[in-house]
Amino acid sequence: MTHNKRGDDTLVSPEQSLQVYRAMQAGLSRRQALKMLGVAGIAAAGSGMLPGMSMGWAADADGQGTPKRGGRIRVAAHSSSSAESLDPAKGSTAIDYVRAYTFYSGLTQFNEQLEPQPALAETFESSDNGGHWVFTLRQGVTFHDGKALTPQDVIYSIMRHKDPAVGSKVLSMVDQIDSVTALDDRRVEFNLSAPNIELPAILAVMHLVIVPDGTTDFSKGIGTGPFTCEEFSPGVRSVAVRNENYWREGYPYLDAIETVGISDESARVNALLSGDVHMINNLSGRNADRVKQTEGSRVKATNSGNYTDLVMRVDQQPGSRPEFVEAMKYLFDREQIKRVALRGYGQIANDQPIAPSSPYYFDGLPQREYDPERAAALLKKAGVAGARVPVVVSPAANYSEEMGQLLQQSAAQAGLNINLNRVPGDGYWSNHWMKHPLGFGNVNPRPTANILLSQFFASSAPWNESGWKNEQFDQLLVASRSEADDAARRQMYADMQTLIHNESGIGIPVFLSDVEGYDARIGGMDRTVPLGSFMGYMFAEYIWWNA
Amino acid sequence: MSETHAMPHRRQGASQRRASARRMVDGSRLPISAPARRNKPRLKLLRWIGLTLFGFWVLVALFGPLLAPYPMGAFVADEIYGGMSAAHWLGTDYMGRDMLSRMLTGARYTVGLAVVAALLSTLVGAGFGMLTVLLPRWLEEGVRRIFDTLISIPSKMMALVMVSAFGTSIPLLILAAVLSYAPGAFRISHSLATNLATLEYVQVAKTRGEGRFYIAAVEIMPNMIQSVLTDMGMRFVFIVLLLSGMSFLGLGVQPPAADLGSLVRENIGGLSQGALAVIAPALAIGTLTIGANLLIDSLSKSRDTQKE
Amino acid sequence: MRNAMPKLVLGRLSSSLLTLFLVSLVIFAITSLLPGDTAQQILGQFATPEQVAALREELGLNQSPLVRYWHWLTGFATGDLGMSASNGMPVAQLMNDRLPNSLLLAAITTAISVPIALTMGLVAAMRRGGNIDRALNVVTLSMVAVPEFLVATLAVLIFAVHLGWLPALSYVSTVESVGDFVRIYAMPVLTLCCVLIAQMARMTRAALIDQLDSAYIEMARLKGVPPVRRVLRHALPNAVGPIANAVALSLSYLLGGVIIVETIFNYPGIASLMVDAVSNRDLALVQACAMLFCGAYLILVMVADLCAILSNPRLRNR
Repeated sequence: MTHNKRGDDTLVSPEQSLQVYRAMQAGLSRRQALKMLGVAGIAAAGSGMLPGMSMGWAADADGQGTPKRGGRIRVAAHSSSSAESLDPAKGSTAIDYVRAYTFYSGLTQFNEQLEPQPALAETFESSDNGGHWVFTLRQGVTFHDGKALTPQDVIYSIMRHKDPAVGSKVLSMVDQIDSVTALDDRRVEFNLSAPNIELPAILAVMHLVIVPDGTTDFSKGIGTGPFTCEEFSPGVRSVAVRNENYWREGYPYLDAIETVGISDESARVNALLSGDVHMINNLSGRNADRVKQTEGSRVKATNSGNYTDLVMRVDQQPGSRPEFVEAMKYLFDREQIKRVALRGYGQIANDQPIAPSSPYYFDGLPQREYDPERAAALLKKAGVAGARVPVVVSPAANYSEEMGQLLQQSAAQAGLNINLNRVPGDGYWSNHWMKHPLGFGNVNPRPTANILLSQFFASSAPWNESGWKNEQFDQLLVASRSEADDAARRQMYADMQTLIHNESGIGIPVFLSDVEGYDARIGGMDRTVPLGSFMGYMFAEYIWWNA
Repeated sequence: MSETHAMPHRRQGASQRRASARRMVDGSRLPISAPARRNKPRLKLLRWIGLTLFGFWVLVALFGPLLAPYPMGAFVADEIYGGMSAAHWLGTDYMGRDMLSRMLTGARYTVGLAVVAALLSTLVGAGFGMLTVLLPRWLEEGVRRIFDTLISIPSKMMALVMVSAFGTSIPLLILAAVLSYAPGAFRISHSLATNLATLEYVQVAKTRGEGRFYIAAVEIMPNMIQSVLTDMGMRFVFIVLLLSGMSFLGLGVQPPAADLGSLVRENIGGLSQGALAVIAPALAIGTLTIGANLLIDSLSKSRDTQKE
Repeated sequence: MRNAMPKLVLGRLSSSLLTLFLVSLVIFAITSLLPGDTAQQILGQFATPEQVAALREELGLNQSPLVRYWHWLTGFATGDLGMSASNGMPVAQLMNDRLPNSLLLAAITTAISVPIALTMGLVAAMRRGGNIDRALNVVTLSMVAVPEFLVATLAVLIFAVHLGWLPALSYVSTVESVGDFVRIYAMPVLTLCCVLIAQMARMTRAALIDQLDSAYIEMARLKGVPPVRRVLRHALPNAVGPIANAVALSLSYLLGGVIIVETIFNYPGIASLMVDAVSNRDLALVQACAMLFCGAYLILVMVADLCAILSNPRLRNR
């Protein structure tokens, strides 16, 4: 939900209500939505009206009048690499994500509450509580090359992720899809290996957008998205021009968007302030203040549940001593981390991975405070008082260097000496992450709480960062996927968060806000999708240019 | 005007012996004495400036940590990029740490590492550069191929492979710097030495049956010392700047410590507000490297004046 | 004597080929030594072991290193640079997109920096010990003592953000007029010149002074040859070798070493391509870039050596 400064009378923007209206018209009744989506805050599903459901917040962002057509802007993302690709399966950085939603569309699309809305699929329903799903495709949708959208395109776009040689980033999510079949020339059926009421949400992720059947060369960016690809040069730039045949009527507003990557932060800020680019992401708190104070530029911060965590391997010394792990969690001076490292652009966390913006966030856990005396006692109990422990930090894990240095200072108060070991960002995830007894990791927002917990906390999860294994947790996680009763499911998530908070080897001091800077002439920035920067990377069709 | 020239003093002893032989070859060289310097006071001034600046940083490197008012990693202020104040003479850095303490503590990395690495690179590079011209042709070619290969390896790649193979340590950082900069020193000194080796007095020394090290040290080295020293001064500057990039790659200096270059780099965000946190370490690098170069310059000049 | 030159050039070229071969071998070995391979880098933080194994198979990373090297070498020898593993595009095309940018930047910087540096070095040597010499000394030292990223960022702040005269980013694609061209290249060239001029000027001065200290110049002085002529006609020819080498070394930096300038001005050149390729463990691309840099370096030093030989006839017989 957007907290904007004009008060609460504009809870539903004209644009949003139009969307809801279209969705309803498309055949998705509210009741159906409730039943199928199984998302909490049920009364508001599909409408986006209930305040407090999403804590995504926007500072200094307002709508700036009515949408206007035309205009060309240049957007700079924080990463730039010659490995950039328009193959949605390979998308790995913000700039890839942005381009995917610019050139392609998915069967579904997230709204501001992270509920999947109809996109290329006009309707979707499950007859057996999530085991089989039928998606009915929108009629008259064409790809940029003029070809009509058919069920074959959907089958190809989804099933190609299952081929390990494609190198898809979402193989683990697609694994549960046994097969996709065409029922007729408009309907496709998804058969899952186990029921999952969240399939429509999964299909809204950037990697699962629809490409034409049989595509192997993605350099032209042929999709059904709001913009067509005029130019793409990896690591240099891409130019997107308006798709006049876009299936969503009236969108997009802009004539063209040029996307570039500028990896150096001060270069990115300077480019925004000099007017060379009109929107940038990944601002640190220090630079956010600078942008905010400059005439003609604004800042938007979104809390999407992105976190950098201290990973303490519970299968290695010293993390195998529960008292040590608990002590470390008490050694985070969370207030100081938020104030000093993030300059306030974040939210205090409580060693639970689910962000307060999620409907499944459990707020019943007492906040862990900085408590060196308690930590010292615990360390003594663990037999490591006065020890010297190495902690691995890297530029690859956002803010880990700053957090490490702050932790080093606060740990010294409890008599624990931390040796920071800075390793290159290059190759960090394959060579260092989860491989040291103590190190930092970074987890980007996941579209649903279940995906997050399945990928990072289940005993068998490939990225179970701390090597934490808990049978009770695993059972709760599986049961939650097919639990139809919302209250019971919420309780399951609360129990799981309590387990993680108390026992796992993961310390999450703060959630990091995604901070963007943009030219004040850009309109439509009040929309917030708490999935990452650039409105969950989906900004392209929603913004306009006031000039 | 000040066009004063002098023969490098070391050659003098040998030149008496060589003089007759040389005259026989083409008579271009005469045992002549050098005119007195006309600009001695000026030289001294520059030397003193160089010595003062460089000496100051050596002292800081040695005793700086003792003088630091705060621990270098302590978060002592809420204000970031703070200006000069009684509590923080050089302001505060991007996380609110005392800049003066960080510089006093960090200077020793820059000064120590850069001096050692510059000396080693020049020693290795210039040493091989001089010796190889006296070696058999095939061996000379071989050494040149090795240095050319070394110079063609991207330094980032070199740093990464060293970190992954040997972990991170200060000696390794020095080794990486030497590997990056010795080949350049080799190139320059080799081309200097090649020119000199064709000169008569070297040929004569060879015919006399002098050893290779003798020829290199006595006949060749004194005649290229100015260039070699200037090159070393430049390399010193480059190494100071290289270190910050290397610690960024995880080689060497680890947080919360930081060398002067890293201090500039981590505070670069404060440049727009003219933060002391970025200006102070940049000035430190400037005074250190200028001081070192002035000192090196005056060293080679003072060699000329010694015999007066 | 005259037909010694072609022979010499031929000899140099063949030994350059040997160096290229050595470099390719070393780069290959280093890439294999680096932890993490292309497959892991492509799949990133959230890769599963099965995926890595499958992609490895797909990319042919399971073959023995010698076989892979042989494939690369035979391809390279026949002009096939291979495919970039990280984005599936031909290496030749990736290089083709960026090489002209790098060459242009290098050419402009060379055209500006070399004459200035040589003039500064010559003047300083002629006026050795005088006020001009000392001023140039301090100027060149100050130029080189400021970190490159600081010069670049400061230039952007002043000329782009505050004054608004120049664009903060250097987009080659937007060049439409001579004015655009100058605006776009002004800051990158300025930054690079700061680094290069100092080095070249100081080495020029030092090499000349080494010569001016020698007895034959003293002789010329005694014979009453005027100072300018002494430097230009007597000392300079003998200093050409070292000077040319110093210039060649500095210029070789212009292709591979300009990563900071490319990053800060977002200039699409070949240095950032190489750095990305190393990060991605993209062997074919790393090799191609390394061959290019090494080749450029070898050509530069060969030219430098030829200059030295032409200026010093005695070297021809070596």
